[in-house]
Amino acid sequence: MRSRKTVVGIFGMLQSFIALTLIIFTCILYFNFFDVQTFLNIATSYLYLYLTVTIAYGFISLISGVFLLLEWWEKR
Amino acid sequence: METKRELGLFSTVMMGLSGAIGFEIFVLLDYTYRLTESGITLTLVLVLAGLLNLIIMFSYCELSAAMPEVGGEYTYIKTAYGGYIAFISGCFRWLASIFGAALAAITFTLQMAYFFSIVAPQFQSLVLAQTPLISVAVVAFFAALDIKGVKQAGSMIVFAFLAIFAVFIVSGILHGLPNIGVSPKPLLENLSGVFASTVYVFPIFFGMRALVAGAAMVKNPEKNVPRGILLSALIIIPLYVCLAFTASGVVSPEEVQPSAPFLNFAAQKIMGEWGGALFAVAGMVASLSALGTSLAVQSSILRGMSRDGYLPKALLSVHKRLGTPYIAIVAGSLFVMFFSAMGVVVFLGYAASFGSLLVFALVNLSLLKLRKEKPHMERPFKTPLYPFTPIIGFIVPIALLVFPVLLGETNAVNAVISSLGLTALVLTTYYLRMVGRRRLQIAVGGIGLGAGVSLALLTFLARLGLISQMFPYVSDYVLFLISIVFIIGGILNIFTQD
Repeated sequence: MRSRKTVVGIFGMLQSFIALTLIIFTCILYFNFFDVQTFLNIATSYLYLYLTVTIAYGFISLISGVFLLLEWWEKR
Repeated sequence: METKRELGLFSTVMMGLSGAIGFEIFVLLDYTYRLTESGITLTLVLVLAGLLNLIIMFSYCELSAAMPEVGGEYTYIKTAYGGYIAFISGCFRWLASIFGAALAAITFTLQMAYFFSIVAPQFQSLVLAQTPLISVAVVAFFAALDIKGVKQAGSMIVFAFLAIFAVFIVSGILHGLPNIGVSPKPLLENLSGVFASTVYVFPIFFGMRALVAGAAMVKNPEKNVPRGILLSALIIIPLYVCLAFTASGVVSPEEVQPSAPFLNFAAQKIMGEWGGALFAVAGMVASLSALGTSLAVQSSILRGMSRDGYLPKALLSVHKRLGTPYIAIVAGSLFVMFFSAMGVVVFLGYAASFGSLLVFALVNLSLLKLRKEKPHMERPFKTPLYPFTPIIGFIVPIALLVFPVLLGETNAVNAVISSLGLTALVLTTYYLRMVGRRRLQIAVGGIGLGAGVSLALLTFLARLGLISQMFPYVSDYVLFLISIVFIIGGILNIFTQD
């Protein structure tokens, strides 16, 4: 039980961190801050594909991570 | 604890004026003037929007006098239609606050750019080029202030603004009024532009209902709230109409640019450089004040809906040391930052308008329903010309909402799509809450597991060279690691324990 609590906490944090990174990256990509689209050599025609993939994974990771963190918080 | 009723009629009118005198006048006239291409049409649009707002305010007067408690529109709609419709109205009101706050942040940056064009011209292009970034920073700063619990100046600036506007109008009259005979586009030919512009400038007058939100603090609310709304409307509508009419006399539609906002440029032409700078400072103060208010309003709406069980209880959490609703503030501020970063003024203008128009329509419907179903309810103020006033108050916002979309106004269409998208997000949250957390966690676990397995498979295929790499700049090992986190996270969620 104790080990599950630790694992849940670690993976909750990891997923939330991945989610935040992906969401911030999506915003930077969409608004082309620091000319990131040119830097990463992303063609305009593929831009929305990249945005869809990163935002979808970002939100799945966020929701999943938040659930794990809630479980961890309640078991403290 | 019950709120103390200590505001008299004068303070009530001041409250209405402090809500109505906002940053919107500094930003929304620009696009309208370019769209209508005539000072006379611009003036007509403002009169139309002001009068429509006044009609809607009659309904607010009746409802606020009958139910002078905390909650405003949310309470009226809840009394008439129950929780679910009230929840939807709360969503629209929240959206309007979010878009309004983003618009205020961008207006602040544009006004700052104009200010720099006078005092330090070398910085103007820098500020204009970094408008989204500066706007996001301003929102983050104000969200931090909100979390710390710092209060803004509020109605103290009302007198200063009234004085500045009065000086501008008098100087304009002395400078010479515009030639009313000159209109580049005949009115009938530009009818679609008039309708689209009316929607667009509508938020200029929205602030008056701030008085309704504060009705719980007003002494003798049955009389003072309706009087306060009418008096502030009778002051603000002629004032703004005169302001626009005077400004259009000295500035042509072609001269209005992001680097030369309409009112600032007119002030500069009439009162000299110091006039332009004064208006820029006034615009910045109004924008910051509106931004602070909108952030506070959105967090209070979120908390209200959370208190009623429609949104997660976490939004009610208060910071242990600072005593402020930090989760609600941060949640809303993230949305505001996102829309500020877009930097599209016209889109935000329409979006802020749409949320409020839908709430207006629902408020008028509530009045009609309450009159029918609760005829004996105590009503110290009754809307004149019933039932025509609330019927007009319902039809006009819906017509104004639909018309620019039917005309194919791109920004209006985008605003509707974004508003519907965000509403769908909030409604999804509502329904998911009804499903129950455990079942939802299992479902999310399944999705996470599937996403992890797909990512691992795609990375493996790309490594074998069977498909092209989607993220060539990210190492395969990192992608494998992410997929493992997704898979384990998914399994943990599926086998969650009560």
